[in-house]
Amino acid sequence: MVTFSVDYFRDLETPRLALLAPNLVAAAFPLMKLMPARYILDRAASNGELKPGSHIVETTSGTFGMAVALLAAARGYRLTLVTASTLVDAKYKARLERIGATVIALEDPRGDGNQPGRLERLQEILAREPDGFWTRQYDSPGNWLAYARLAELLIRAMGKVDCLVGCVGTGGSLCGTASFLRTVFPHLTVFAVDTHRSILFGQPVGKRMLRGLGNSVLPKNVRHELVDEIHWVGAYPAYMTAHRLLREHGMFMGPTSGAAALVAQWVASTLPDAQVAVIMPDEGHRHAETVYNDDWLAALPGWPCKALSEPRTLTTIAPAAETQWTRFLWLRRSLENVLKTQSASEVPPAVGAAENL
Amino acid sequence: MAGASDLMSREISRSSVGTGTAIAHHGELIQGVFKDDGGHLHRGLVTLPIAGLRSEATFARSDDDAIVVHPDHKIKASAAARLTLDFLNVTGGGVLTLQSSIPVGHGYGSSTADVVASIRAVAAALKVQLRPSSIGRLAVAAERASDAIAFDDHAVLFAQREGVVIENFGGSVPPLLLLGFKANDGVPVDTLRLPPARYDSAEIQEFGVLRALVARAVRLQDPYLLGRAASASAVISQRHLPKQGFDEVAEIARRAGACGVQVAHSGSLFGLMFDLFASNLKRRAALIAQQIRRAGFNDVEVHLVNAEGRTW
Repeated sequence: MVTFSVDYFRDLETPRLALLAPNLVAAAFPLMKLMPARYILDRAASNGELKPGSHIVETTSGTFGMAVALLAAARGYRLTLVTASTLVDAKYKARLERIGATVIALEDPRGDGNQPGRLERLQEILAREPDGFWTRQYDSPGNWLAYARLAELLIRAMGKVDCLVGCVGTGGSLCGTASFLRTVFPHLTVFAVDTHRSILFGQPVGKRMLRGLGNSVLPKNVRHELVDEIHWVGAYPAYMTAHRLLREHGMFMGPTSGAAALVAQWVASTLPDAQVAVIMPDEGHRHAETVYNDDWLAALPGWPCKALSEPRTLTTIAPAAETQWTRFLWLRRSLENVLKTQSASEVPPAVGAAENL
Repeated sequence: MAGASDLMSREISRSSVGTGTAIAHHGELIQGVFKDDGGHLHRGLVTLPIAGLRSEATFARSDDDAIVVHPDHKIKASAAARLTLDFLNVTGGGVLTLQSSIPVGHGYGSSTADVVASIRAVAAALKVQLRPSSIGRLAVAAERASDAIAFDDHAVLFAQREGVVIENFGGSVPPLLLLGFKANDGVPVDTLRLPPARYDSAEIQEFGVLRALVARAVRLQDPYLLGRAASASAVISQRHLPKQGFDEVAEIARRAGACGVQVAHSGSLFGLMFDLFASNLKRRAALIAQQIRRAGFNDVEVHLVNAEGRTW
């Protein structure tokens, strides 16, 4: 029998690597969430949790939903995505439905994404579907375990990795890649990228302008103890960096990738002897009518703003404007530990991980 | 097998004698479970070859059907000779004589070296050059689980129970100085009695990372990256076949500036890995050997890996 070594989704989940500076490698993903989605489904299929024709459910309207929808289509699973009306735009919903997914958009009177309502609906579906399978991207260890593959790709291309920069939403990509890289490079410095008013690293919850970055609930896959520095990037500098990636590097990436690139370029120029890797999770297509549309941008209050070349270092965690970029030395502490120190208004020792390198 | 029988259709002198040798190893750089191109998992390992110890086999064909082996307890070598004759479609038997400088039972691969030397001796007696992949397959058939010594100093990720190469790293391990010694007071390990390790998901995923490190280390001849891979694999091995004094050894390696700590995953060997081209290595190695002895380990030995004729 002839066998072909062909796997479309393995190829599609594989990032293209770009050299953004002599010491900076970017892993630019077309659709990063395929990596955890494929791993979680493969694992569930091999241990029997996921049977042929099973009904997959998840509470997302983001790119993880898109990744699962593509896999479900190709592998013959049914899929229901439970989201909130405030989180999904009509076009994306139509795209998911065209792939074959059922998208339930719940009312969201409080405007906070209605996560409790979504979980309740998801449980109802699971209760009446004996072959139901919940991918659980927030809590499944499969989410972070999948990123060993990214660590492999980075090592094959770069050898030693000194610094890792990446966005945090579920925590899977950054914490997964970081924990695998650190088993072989214990000195690895990890820079997490979040956005103002996301609760992941101790900010009070609020309205976030940057989609796809940060969170208003805390997933288990965020492991704070892996993080050396946390950066909060506002929507404006993220958009501007995305534009710059296109004009200076010919890379059409989404705004969260812009936020990661902004921090990474600062790390790489601050630490010229360190080999830096940055994770860029998605492309710009979904943002063609917003971030890459001059009319839409012109309507933003205060657009364009001044370009930022470095972050403002905070000693007390606090939200800032969407034009701002702030940084805080997390120093591999737990969230509880940091919040306790904050409320006692103790200033952590001023030796940052980056300064230490 | 059509090719082999065609080859054998020509007349071969029954009186021919062949010799073959095979080198030892110092356990594995990495050992675990690895994905193939189709995503299927295989147990696999990367062997750390040491050319200083070897097994030599001589095979003299005879018209007699039996294979007589000296010393007579080397039954796996004898089985390998028979399998090689079968593979080459040759009837008859012969006298197989083995001579080996490789200690038994510590993870130096004495058994595989005998087997591989025997396969090569039989092939040589028949004036046939076998491919390393065929030798590897025959070795696994003869002894159930085999290391990758059929590939000599060429670095491959080898499925030790299936006899196939999962990944060919395309070159040799970079030149190393290895300070080798034995754990657990040098008590030998019976390899075949060990149950195969059961790895968890995180370990299986980590093995992919270690494999990437070895690939990079071989491609760029980087002993530092190779040491990182070996150390991480040793840490995982410690959870499955613990060696006494592991933490102490890791600490000596760290203070000595070693590239890494390597172990025989189914034996008792420890190895501290150093870049063969590091400065002051001779003096440093002597000091470190002393520390290891003082920590209570036996039989500290210096091995050169891919030293290309350099002497110590």
